[in-house]
Amino acid sequence: MKLGTRIGTALLGALLGALAAPALAQDKPITIGYAIARTGPWSIGAQVTQEPNYIMWAEQVNAAGGLSVGGKKRKIELIGVDDRSNMETVVRSYEKLMASDKVDLVLPPWGTGANFAVMPLAQKHGYPMLSPTATGRKLVAMKNPYFFALLQQPDRMMDALAEFMVARKVRTAAVIHVDELFGLEQFTALEASMKAKGIQILEVKSYPIGVKDLAPVLKAIQAKNPDALIALSYPPDTFLTTGQTKAIGFNPALFYAAVGTAFPFYRDKMTAATVEGVMGLGTWNPKTSAAAKGYFDRHVARWKKEPDRWASAHAWAGLQILQKAVEKAGLDRKKIRDYIAANEFDTIIGKIRFRGSENVSTPGVVSQWQNGEFEVVWPPNLATSPALHPKPRWN
Amino acid sequence: MGFWLELAASGLITGGIYAVVAIGLNLQYGLMRIMNISHGEFLMLGAYLTWLAHTTFGVNPFALMPAVAAALFLLGLVVYRFCFYRIARTAPSVEVIEARSLLVGFGLMFLVQNVVYLAWGADLRGYSYLAEPVEIAGARFMANRLAVFAFAVAASLLLLALLRWTMIGKAVRAMMQSPTGAQLVGIDTGVLHPLVFGGGLALAGVAGGLLSMVYEISPSMGEPYTITALIVITLGGLGSVGGSLIGGFILGLVEAFGMHFTSPSLKMVLSYGVLVAVLLARPRGLFSR
Repeated sequence: MKLGTRIGTALLGALLGALAAPALAQDKPITIGYAIARTGPWSIGAQVTQEPNYIMWAEQVNAAGGLSVGGKKRKIELIGVDDRSNMETVVRSYEKLMASDKVDLVLPPWGTGANFAVMPLAQKHGYPMLSPTATGRKLVAMKNPYFFALLQQPDRMMDALAEFMVARKVRTAAVIHVDELFGLEQFTALEASMKAKGIQILEVKSYPIGVKDLAPVLKAIQAKNPDALIALSYPPDTFLTTGQTKAIGFNPALFYAAVGTAFPFYRDKMTAATVEGVMGLGTWNPKTSAAAKGYFDRHVARWKKEPDRWASAHAWAGLQILQKAVEKAGLDRKKIRDYIAANEFDTIIGKIRFRGSENVSTPGVVSQWQNGEFEVVWPPNLATSPALHPKPRWN
Repeated sequence: MGFWLELAASGLITGGIYAVVAIGLNLQYGLMRIMNISHGEFLMLGAYLTWLAHTTFGVNPFALMPAVAAALFLLGLVVYRFCFYRIARTAPSVEVIEARSLLVGFGLMFLVQNVVYLAWGADLRGYSYLAEPVEIAGARFMANRLAVFAFAVAASLLLLALLRWTMIGKAVRAMMQSPTGAQLVGIDTGVLHPLVFGGGLALAGVAGGLLSMVYEISPSMGEPYTITALIVITLGGLGSVGGSLIGGFILGLVEAFGMHFTSPSLKMVLSYGVLVAVLLARPRGLFSR
């Protein structure tokens, strides 16, 4: 082939390409952006609960041809960045995704604090955000029309715990909580609920995040001999409290620790025998429903690790809701928001409907480790197993 | 009685671990004025090595400590050669060494952390080892904490003995007291510096390995220990290894008793309160000359 012909062919190709471009543009992928912690302290929760679900969802939707927009299937392109567990990076990343990259949709960051920081941006640029790891009345009270919180609010979870305690005649409790917005919100809710139900709080102690030794506090609580020990804790202190309560031989009838108990790693590290009877924040397990079982199996097949028994399912439910809303309302974000706000959705954790920012359908739940599974034990109509009470002595 | 014993022991156990972390940093800083802010990252590396070897081959974690120390020591030689050698050689004064090594340390911190993220991800890792309560004189402890404490104190004392009674220990102490004087009497900094730097990392690795027996590990676990180590070495005196040991114990005890009688939330206030009090009374630390 002569050089001239070659250039001619190339030009012709370019011309055809330019003509074809508008047609191709319609099939360009849907861009979905998010910032999430891949490094730093938040990454522990974010990489168990959240990002694996984002990736698995996009893969699954793309394998089925894509996300249905106006009857046409389009592939999803995820644009995920590492926020380095840094609040400023979170805000800057979302500002860039929304204002300059102009992605079609966003997925939320991990954690109450980061979501709280991004909420104003979501409203300003009009991006609906279905958050699986943000909880707190403060967030709901902002009345941000673009923010939807999937997790049960602290008062629901703590009410459920207090109801369980009343049902099992637990009359006294000691509470320790982490000195963060999360711990304070949970404690305020628990205190109100226990007061209303006549459960006496014998001792309350707070501790800073990153604490390495709680034995002195636990010893003092042991001396008061409460029926229940409740730790409104984050993962590292959940492990610490469990280990040290066992070490000092403190055997309350009810032992509850908040975040981290639902992680499979909690059972694996502490051993199933040790955590037998430990209660905590959970919502589901593979026995909850066939849909939940299907999700569990796909997660294990994809990631070679189990999802956690609390907010992983909320993360997946949020993606289910988003998918449904896009199928119904297209990529007009205002319409997506309105659709989410006005409808009820079927998800792996049951029906979900929002009033304002709050998920008002999912009830408060108490879960408990039994034979290596985090069983739902309260409320009775959702229970996957009867509660083990009083908790067996530490093994 | 049992109660006081438990409280004191709880403080000493925490303090023992603080001491090992701090001694490693103090060796580097005291001898070479290298402010290795990535010290905690090498501790984390030691924790991951221990976890990996223990969970893959089922070796007793204590038996792994010499291997972890050796691996981190060799790594220390490499890091010294590529990162700190030029700084030590070309800097016109010790202040410049401090400033430049601080920057290099920051870089190393990100590098090491992210290598571990790439290799093992952000998940919490860990294993259950000796997680059984034992009872001594009416006080109850977790067996792993006691074992870790014993090992930490033994390692610290061994190091103190090495510094006291061996030729190389004498050289290190001479170098700490007077770098110029030591060079005048024929002590070779070209040999001593990499050795001591490697030794510092080996201690960090051992501390990490010990911590992995008690706590869960993650790539971001190191930073808080760097900060604690800085408090301890300032408390005990820059360049004083014995001071770091005592400083670690003091900090552990203050935290344990303070947390019991006030609130755990005041832990940071207590730690820094002790530091400020010591600095007011003895601005160069408790055991500096």
